[in-house]
Amino acid sequence: MKNIYQPDLMEVAAVQRHTADVKSVKVRFRDADCAQQFQFRVGQFGIFSSFGYGESVFNICSSSTWSDGLEFCFRKTGRVTEALWEIEEGDTIGFRGPYGNGYPVEAWKGKNLIFLGGGIAMPPIRCAIWYALENRADYGDITIVYGARTVADLVYVNELAEWSKRERVRVIQCVDPGGETPNWTGEIGFVPTVFERAQVAAENSVALVIGPPIMIKNTMPVLDRMGLPRASVYTSLENRMKCGVGKCGRCNCGPVYVCKEGPVFTMEELAALPQDY
Amino acid sequence: MSEIISSDNLRKLAAEWIEQGVRVAAPQHAGGRVLYLPLKNSADLLLDAFIHPANSAKEFLFPKSETLYAYRVEGQDVKLVEAPGTETPQVLLGVRPCDAAAFPILDHIFNWDCADELYNRRRRNTTIVVLACSAHDANCFCTSVGLGPASERGADVLLVPLTNDTFEVRSVTEKGRSLFAGKTQTDNVAAMAAAGPEPRFAPDAVRKFSAANFEHPIWGEHALACVGCGACAHTCPTCHCFDIVDEHGERVRNWDSCQFSLFTLHASGHNPRPDQGSRQRQRILHKFSIYPDKFGEILCTGCGNCTRNCPAGLGVLPLLIAIEHEEHLPA
Repeated sequence: MKNIYQPDLMEVAAVQRHTADVKSVKVRFRDADCAQQFQFRVGQFGIFSSFGYGESVFNICSSSTWSDGLEFCFRKTGRVTEALWEIEEGDTIGFRGPYGNGYPVEAWKGKNLIFLGGGIAMPPIRCAIWYALENRADYGDITIVYGARTVADLVYVNELAEWSKRERVRVIQCVDPGGETPNWTGEIGFVPTVFERAQVAAENSVALVIGPPIMIKNTMPVLDRMGLPRASVYTSLENRMKCGVGKCGRCNCGPVYVCKEGPVFTMEELAALPQDY
Repeated sequence: MSEIISSDNLRKLAAEWIEQGVRVAAPQHAGGRVLYLPLKNSADLLLDAFIHPANSAKEFLFPKSETLYAYRVEGQDVKLVEAPGTETPQVLLGVRPCDAAAFPILDHIFNWDCADELYNRRRRNTTIVVLACSAHDANCFCTSVGLGPASERGADVLLVPLTNDTFEVRSVTEKGRSLFAGKTQTDNVAAMAAAGPEPRFAPDAVRKFSAANFEHPIWGEHALACVGCGACAHTCPTCHCFDIVDEHGERVRNWDSCQFSLFTLHASGHNPRPDQGSRQRQRILHKFSIYPDKFGEILCTGCGNCTRNCPAGLGVLPLLIAIEHEEHLPA
């Protein structure tokens, strides 16, 4: 019987540095059968490990429509991410997953998509953006508002530029006041304010809002004023996890185990849960 | 008719098991305390004059530290090495009913959706011989959570004290029956179970209160004395939270506790449970509301170890009594 804690081995295919402390990594399964059988839904997460240092939980930030390996993105913040920072092409890491529920991309069909992200929250939005772009006919207008503290903290800037050239895609980038550079052409301000100024229509839309708690808190009144029902606003929780399979006991938010029943919730669902996230 | 065994014969039987290579764990004196420990010498087996060991019997199915698997880093490659699986039969001898009852409760968490084979393998290879209680202390509250001094929940065999040096042997499962087959004498006397503690609170009242009062001063007030040491969780038969870390070329799971500040700390520095009050609340909610909602059972067997081992005299019981009092206050 399978040991549920044992990872599959993956080879590092590419490493991309985004900022002073953010990198993304593309990995492929070392085992051909694993690669063949692997499937996931955008919005699900994996548990990635650096052998000798430990495991960390990251969203799988590549699209589920891509068949060549998978990608994850992280900020250097602790023991495991310090070790992952040093990995190079050809190195081996561990992967367990996919875990969690993922985004309801089927239910989003026919809708306009509003993506609101702050800082390191772009990767878990990026997978949904690419998924929608690869299934372009299934979705309506796409609005992306992405902000970071400074220009140097924005991640996936090349892809933001690429998305803005696509049909019916509007990309608005912003940085906090003082975080701009002399040649910055994006907006200056916080995500909620910049988003409100953009006057996006709420009709037939769903929103995915991921970012620091303060950004989410200040974005909700804007979405309310737009008239977007909270059942149409989604987020992904970042509760600390260890096992990913509903056993280690730390990610619960009231009666809900975020690793199994989440991490994706509507704001309406979150309102019914205790403030434990 | 009942089956009887003398304490001498029980010790001889334990010695036979040890001789046969069975791992036996049992209550023993250790450094001025009573602890469940691996039994080396059957003379050390403690069969009376203790209320509850300072630890719980869970560590023989869910060890404090357990290798999940090992690995070897060879240049850019990594070789995984499966943890050596132990199929050694094990007997937990003389465990209290409140320890035995924890195992069927823990079976839920280790088996919902995906099965934890490391736990299940030990569970399959373990036979549980329960020693009914003949006394209780002020910290015991098994009768408040549906158990009692001679509860058979989780037991393969129940030993009920008959005289100073004899026990009635009640086989509960086939596994238990075969363990004692041919080792007992029949008699026509039956042992009487001792009276348990008076019920101290109603779990339903606790569930109702904790579901409706996520924000309530009682959590913070009760936690003022808490030093966050986690002794409650680590000596609890049902607490099962764990961490996964790398140690010396192995990935290891170690016991963890919701009472530690790092338990829920996000990478961003945000902590949804920033103080001891919110951590105490989590422990009560998990045991009396979340677990029953998910698995239909309270995650507590009333052993009282959390209070007995708490340096501040807390544990769940004083808080549960206070909650029930609060629940019955006029609105």
